[in-house]
Amino acid sequence: MTINTNSSNVATRENRIGSITGYIGNLKDLAEKSACGTLKGCSRCFSQSSTCLSSCALAQLSAIRDVAIIHHGPAGCSVASAGAYYLDKVMAKKRGVTNDTVYVGTDMNEQDTIFGSTEQLGKIIREVNRRYSPKAIFVTSSCATGIIGEDIDSVVDDLKEEINVPIVAVHCEGFKSRIWATGFDIADHAVLSSIVQPPKQKRNTINFKNFYESARPEIIEIFRNFDLEPIFLYCNSTVEELSHISESLATTCICGTLGNYLGNGLEEKYGVPYVRSINQCGITGFETWLREIGKVTNRSEAVEKYIAEQRAIYIPQIEEIKKELKGLRAVIGMGPGYTFEVSRVLNELGIEVVWALAWHYDKKYENGDIPPSMKYLLDNDINFETSISDQQNYEVMNVLRKFKPDIYLSRHPGSTVWAIKNGTSAVYVADEYMIFGYKHTLEFAKTILDSIRNRSFEKNLASRVKLPYTDWWYEQNVDAFFEAEKENKKVTI
Amino acid sequence: MAKLLDKQRYKCALASMQTVQAITRAIPVLHSGPGCAQKLSDGVGSSGYFSPNIFPCTSINEKDVVFGGTKKLASTIENALKVIDADLFVVLTGCIPEIVGDDTAEVVSQFADARKPVIYASTAGFKGNNYKGHEQVVDAIIDQYLKKADEGEKIEGLVNIWADVPYQNLFWLGNLRELEKLLAELGLKPNTIFGYKRGIENIDLIPKAQFNLLVSPWVGLKNVKKMEKKLGIPYLHYPTLPIGASETSTFLREVGRFAGVSSEKIESVINEHESYFYYLIERYADLFLENRVINKQFSVVGDAQYVLAATKFLVNDLGLFPAKQFITDDTPKEFQSAIVEEFKKLNYGIEAEVEFTTDSYNIHNQIREHDYHGYPLVLGSYYDKEVTEELKGNFLNISWPFQDKVVLDDFYCGYTGGIRLIEDIYSVAVQRFN
Amino acid sequence: MTYKIAVASSNGTDVDTNFGSARFFSVYTVSDEGNFVHSETRAAPDENQDKENFSVHTEKKCTGNGCTNSGNCCRGAEISEKVRLISDCRCVVASKIGFTVQKQLERKAIAAFDVQCKVQEALQKITKYFYSVDNHLSLAKK
Repeated sequence: MTINTNSSNVATRENRIGSITGYIGNLKDLAEKSACGTLKGCSRCFSQSSTCLSSCALAQLSAIRDVAIIHHGPAGCSVASAGAYYLDKVMAKKRGVTNDTVYVGTDMNEQDTIFGSTEQLGKIIREVNRRYSPKAIFVTSSCATGIIGEDIDSVVDDLKEEINVPIVAVHCEGFKSRIWATGFDIADHAVLSSIVQPPKQKRNTINFKNFYESARPEIIEIFRNFDLEPIFLYCNSTVEELSHISESLATTCICGTLGNYLGNGLEEKYGVPYVRSINQCGITGFETWLREIGKVTNRSEAVEKYIAEQRAIYIPQIEEIKKELKGLRAVIGMGPGYTFEVSRVLNELGIEVVWALAWHYDKKYENGDIPPSMKYLLDNDINFETSISDQQNYEVMNVLRKFKPDIYLSRHPGSTVWAIKNGTSAVYVADEYMIFGYKHTLEFAKTILDSIRNRSFEKNLASRVKLPYTDWWYEQNVDAFFEAEKENKKVTI
Repeated sequence: MAKLLDKQRYKCALASMQTVQAITRAIPVLHSGPGCAQKLSDGVGSSGYFSPNIFPCTSINEKDVVFGGTKKLASTIENALKVIDADLFVVLTGCIPEIVGDDTAEVVSQFADARKPVIYASTAGFKGNNYKGHEQVVDAIIDQYLKKADEGEKIEGLVNIWADVPYQNLFWLGNLRELEKLLAELGLKPNTIFGYKRGIENIDLIPKAQFNLLVSPWVGLKNVKKMEKKLGIPYLHYPTLPIGASETSTFLREVGRFAGVSSEKIESVINEHESYFYYLIERYADLFLENRVINKQFSVVGDAQYVLAATKFLVNDLGLFPAKQFITDDTPKEFQSAIVEEFKKLNYGIEAEVEFTTDSYNIHNQIREHDYHGYPLVLGSYYDKEVTEELKGNFLNISWPFQDKVVLDDFYCGYTGGIRLIEDIYSVAVQRFN
Repeated sequence: MTYKIAVASSNGTDVDTNFGSARFFSVYTVSDEGNFVHSETRAAPDENQDKENFSVHTEKKCTGNGCTNSGNCCRGAEISEKVRLISDCRCVVASKIGFTVQKQLERKAIAAFDVQCKVQEALQKITKYFYSVDNHLSLAKK
């Protein structure tokens, strides 16, 4: 299977769009091929639960130290505050600092949906400010406040005079069509628009956007070789620190989807170069990324020296492990920022990717570029089937049943368990540093090996549990589904 | 009116999807945004035959807001029936469809003859918290699924038990099983609808019961009243979840008497259990009496169920003394005075002061200001750990949110549960000497 | 502020055409008060011509260092010409709108309404909705 990006495969624009729609309308498609006609002609007529936009946005903002998040909506929206409280405390403890960030809700009730509650919101903001003296206040809306037309912006504007710290409205009305690709963009926009200040000087720092800084000491060490100091965002960041990120030499991130908005924004507004590269997973990823940083910050020589030293240590070990991974087949289910990156790494390790389920959208259209990770795969003739779904579980199950891979890799909570129940080994690639650089790539390879060597857990569970889908569903002609798609010149990337 | 929910102790009504999830082979079908299920599920223990990723959801978008979402809801239900292997489908409506006015009842009525039962509950987030949502789901089952049983169909000794709110109360699974066990020892036939192997067959048994037993200060009261009216089932309302010997013995006497069990039988069950319970207490008397770290005063912070249960246990069994207790479940006003009365029924005329509040800032300030004359013992949610540590107190996580404990089927209910609670409290205590 | 709505309809009465096969779009302009009027008809780019444009653009693939133009240059290659045609509209109405097109529209903050109903009904509902949103009115059913 080779990749075809020439126009005959892509054909007309319509055909291309049509074929991807065909992919996504999977249940619909299935029904059209099956005897049952009732699903015909219905788009997105069956979906399962996935994620809330605000989860990404507020997980980011609530990780900043000593701020206040006021989530205006019914109690369900602010349930995330419980997890945020825990994370803030333990992550601060780990770094040896304190974090007094508060994340509160407003317990909107039926009366509020009828009469509105902007006045109450104003009072709540003042009270939070009085109690906790946060360094910044983020006032977030929700679906409910959006639907009843609450004007969060006015409330925030009215209070700007009174409150001496940055106070920002953060819009999380999930049902509205929006510019933001993800909740991460929403968080970045809030920070860029109200916390980051124009640069007063240039510093030896590099902005490093990540999730939970588990490799922080390691990265600080690595960058010490290049006389660079990484500033980790947003976990444990202070408002003061964030106000200075316009003064850094560059911005980089652990994942394209996570960092795009901020990286592009800082570059546009303050001329801080954004390091665009495949991300640091695997060998090629790590080296390419380091070289790009070297180039942007004028430290290429130091970077090359470091790479040469590290390669001598790790490459032989990785080559050894590769022998044992040869012939393994994997399925990946992750967001666009990771699916194609991890595919590259698996390829490096000699593992065949038989299917990649990329949540969200076709990677080719993100920001208009062909993102580096995709380009790498194209250039290197790495091909695999891919589909795009919004984390729909039934599609994952279908793929697993069809391909019976040796291993399933995912980053989304609740996803790996379904592979396990199918009897497939699964690795939850949760930590963003799990495949970072040589050391972690080697560890990752070993983890995969351990997982497939001991399949006790999954075999035991799979032999005892029943999967939640009906026989009718399983009887759908899965093979026919895939065959017809191939005939239809669907997008194989 | 909107209020400052500072360190919240509950979720919204839509979290009653967890109540549905607790019924074996029942699945919630959500008419809501795509993210509610994941957000409202805990990170630990939410998997299973069905997990939130499996819940069918209309994933409401802008189009549904503008043009209405009933068509999408209908097709979601229709396809859920085709694709998911479940015994009961419970449609739950979220904030958006309830505000814009989707007629869910009408849509669900289209499925009156579906191959599996489809019911619905109006659980928009702004309608209340998940304690109320839980009641809504049970009401929906009563109103839309259950029918009154004929006299001939009634089963003697069959008792439906209603206690903890699944998932919201960490020990719900173990507690329910323990309550069943205790009733079985009295010669009764317990029936519950939540947890392992309890599903539609148990729901079908409900109308045939001799009576309903509600073990809870207020959650579920409206359900048992409704069942009395519609299904003609009498109920016994026992407000305190029994933890430890004192309360459990009282519990067995009252339930046994109500059920017509002979007092010989009741006393023999009690004696057997108390004998073992006090054997353990006696053996560990040195732990209780010579430990330097567990002092006399305590506060419990949580929902009415656990605050009342723990207070009675700590006072009547362990001989501790209540400081102020805090109930954080937003208890409806009409139940508050009855609950306050329960806190006055402690041994030796001791009365525990209790406050109904959802404001943690206020709670923590009061805990700081109170003179515990010793290390405070605080049983509460994870939020209360910090202030307890500040005061060098002893903390145990017994209410939501939980971080310090992983519980699969452990329980605090009954005689054995009391021993478990003692073990947990003293395991904290022995982490230090003084 | 006034805004535009693009509708895919073969006869001006029914929303009966899907986005992918629409040969033209009826564009309606909406006033501040929420009143709409048909203002123009826009023809979709010729299929063959578009194919050519498209293949030309794919040859100009990015070098992998990303677009320094924040997506304004190569974006043209990958964003459908039809989406660009209606990119000044606040929303588009068609009987079916494919997943990828929806994502492209989302990127441009253009609302996508895939419905099958009368054009008038769609316009009334949409303008009422946007009016409420813009003026912070509740969408609650009265």
